[in-house]
Amino acid sequence: MFGVELSVVSRDGAASGDDATAFSTGWSYARKRQMFLAALAAPALLYVLAVAVGPMVQGFLYSFDNYNLIRPASRHFVGLDNYLALWRDPTARRAVINTFAFTFGAVTLEFVLGLGVALLLWRDDWFNRVALGLLLIPATVTPLVVGLIFKALLNPEYGMLGYPLAELGLSGPRGLLAEPERALATLVAIDAWEWTPLMALILLAGLKTLPTDVLEAAAVDGATAPQRFWLVILPLSLPAAFLALILRMMDAFRVFDIIFVTTSGGPADATNTLMIYGVKQGLEFFNIGAASAVSTLIVVCILVMAAAFIAVLKPGRNRHV
Amino acid sequence: MFDRDRLLLIVRRLAICVVLVVALAPVVWLFSIAYKPTSDIFASPPTLLFSPTFDNFQSVFRYFHLGALLESSLIIAIGSTALSLLIGVPAGYALARAESPRAIWLAYFFLIIRTVPPIATLIPFYLLMRDIGLLGTWWAVIILNSALNSAFVVWMMFSFFRAAPASIEEAALTDGCTDFGAFIRVALPTVVPGLIASAIFCIMFSWNDFLYAMFLTKADTKTISVALLSAYGTKDISWGTLGALAHFSTLPIVAMMILLNRYFVQGLTQGVH
Repeated sequence: MFGVELSVVSRDGAASGDDATAFSTGWSYARKRQMFLAALAAPALLYVLAVAVGPMVQGFLYSFDNYNLIRPASRHFVGLDNYLALWRDPTARRAVINTFAFTFGAVTLEFVLGLGVALLLWRDDWFNRVALGLLLIPATVTPLVVGLIFKALLNPEYGMLGYPLAELGLSGPRGLLAEPERALATLVAIDAWEWTPLMALILLAGLKTLPTDVLEAAAVDGATAPQRFWLVILPLSLPAAFLALILRMMDAFRVFDIIFVTTSGGPADATNTLMIYGVKQGLEFFNIGAASAVSTLIVVCILVMAAAFIAVLKPGRNRHV
Repeated sequence: MFDRDRLLLIVRRLAICVVLVVALAPVVWLFSIAYKPTSDIFASPPTLLFSPTFDNFQSVFRYFHLGALLESSLIIAIGSTALSLLIGVPAGYALARAESPRAIWLAYFFLIIRTVPPIATLIPFYLLMRDIGLLGTWWAVIILNSALNSAFVVWMMFSFFRAAPASIEEAALTDGCTDFGAFIRVALPTVVPGLIASAIFCIMFSWNDFLYAMFLTKADTKTISVALLSAYGTKDISWGTLGALAHFSTLPIVAMMILLNRYFVQGLTQGVH
């Protein structure tokens, strides 16, 4: 009798299964299972709340204080002053614009180039598999080192890229990274060098899930290659790529390493982003209040992006995303 | 018709080769510059050919305590990876099997935690570590690194466990296996690629991080990525030293990715879908 009843126990806690275990413990099977799963999830949740969310909340509170580590004793509440100061500071406003420009530029470029590379690698053969493996190398190079590599390569006097560019008159005598109009675009290109392969990999995975019968049907019906691309391939593979795009966007938004080592925000604030601005305020000038206001601004921007993608994906309804 | 297909394939392969050159040339340059004499590095116009030298490696050993740097990086990477997997894997399993909308929301919460900008946690955490006396220790970096890494592990293992069939566990549970036994002995072996992928990413994130390490460690606990920056910042140390140092900082991670490429690719595609 016992065995028969246990056999209908399922993860969802079928009613008869509840009865089978209820008399021995006093708790229904489903409830016990839920408690077990909650116990497994609790350490990670508590850890993240304590070490990531806790400091973030603390930082949010600091953002309402005049708090400088050089004069810790004079710490006092100033309300929204740090935010108002941000609003009035042209450098900060420039940093907001630069951050959005960098993010938009980098993600767009990486998506377009990544899609191109993914289409090239679509066929599953040994050549493409080896090529894909090698292509991922840039993504594993320390971002700090990526910045340093390109700083050297773009040097107008001894750089392998910078020298010919300067000779041909494509850059000024001090190199692309020293030109206020082109430094940010150069950094977008460097970011694209590092992350396009990753984007290509993710888009390729999306392409491989496309139903072949739809593609064949389109070909049989006489759709040209560009038509197949715009009307079938792109719309069908976009949903799979969407989460990847949003994640890359959030990553690009908090770019720090490559800018810090190449231009550290210059020339003339042309590449100053919110992260660079915030780190300078906090860890160079020890102005904790101002830096915390910048962090809060970055977190709000990222949360808005996160909310946008959750609104589009609707977790729970679409189980495959 | 045959010739057209063949031509198309050749064009595609050539295009891929061009992409590969663009992707790999800067990396090859980085490692080759380590063998280049300083006078050739700063030659204008730049030269491609040079007589190889080991001077740059000698200056790495002269200016840096390479052993101590590698020790710090290793301890931080291993410590953070172990901690992240220990708490992240069970949580990923729990969220994948809970089958409630709340669990999926929680999984998204962990995903978003990974995207939190480092500065938002770094400054308050720095002050906290200073107050409890852990500033300058490996612990400070391990604890903070693990917050983002474990969140990432939860999300990735959530995806892997959800893709693995639950039916074998159900059978084991029905046969009288405990909940914990079903998790450890039945569910875990089905997601070994996911465990390897999670470990690879944790090691890579910790090893490559320099912002946390730069502010949370001191002279005798600093990591090799922090040393890279000082290599570049010091006057009498040149690009050649950087290239030589990169043999120890960047090459291990690149080698790990190439050796475990299958898991790396699987983790990347599984982790986002």
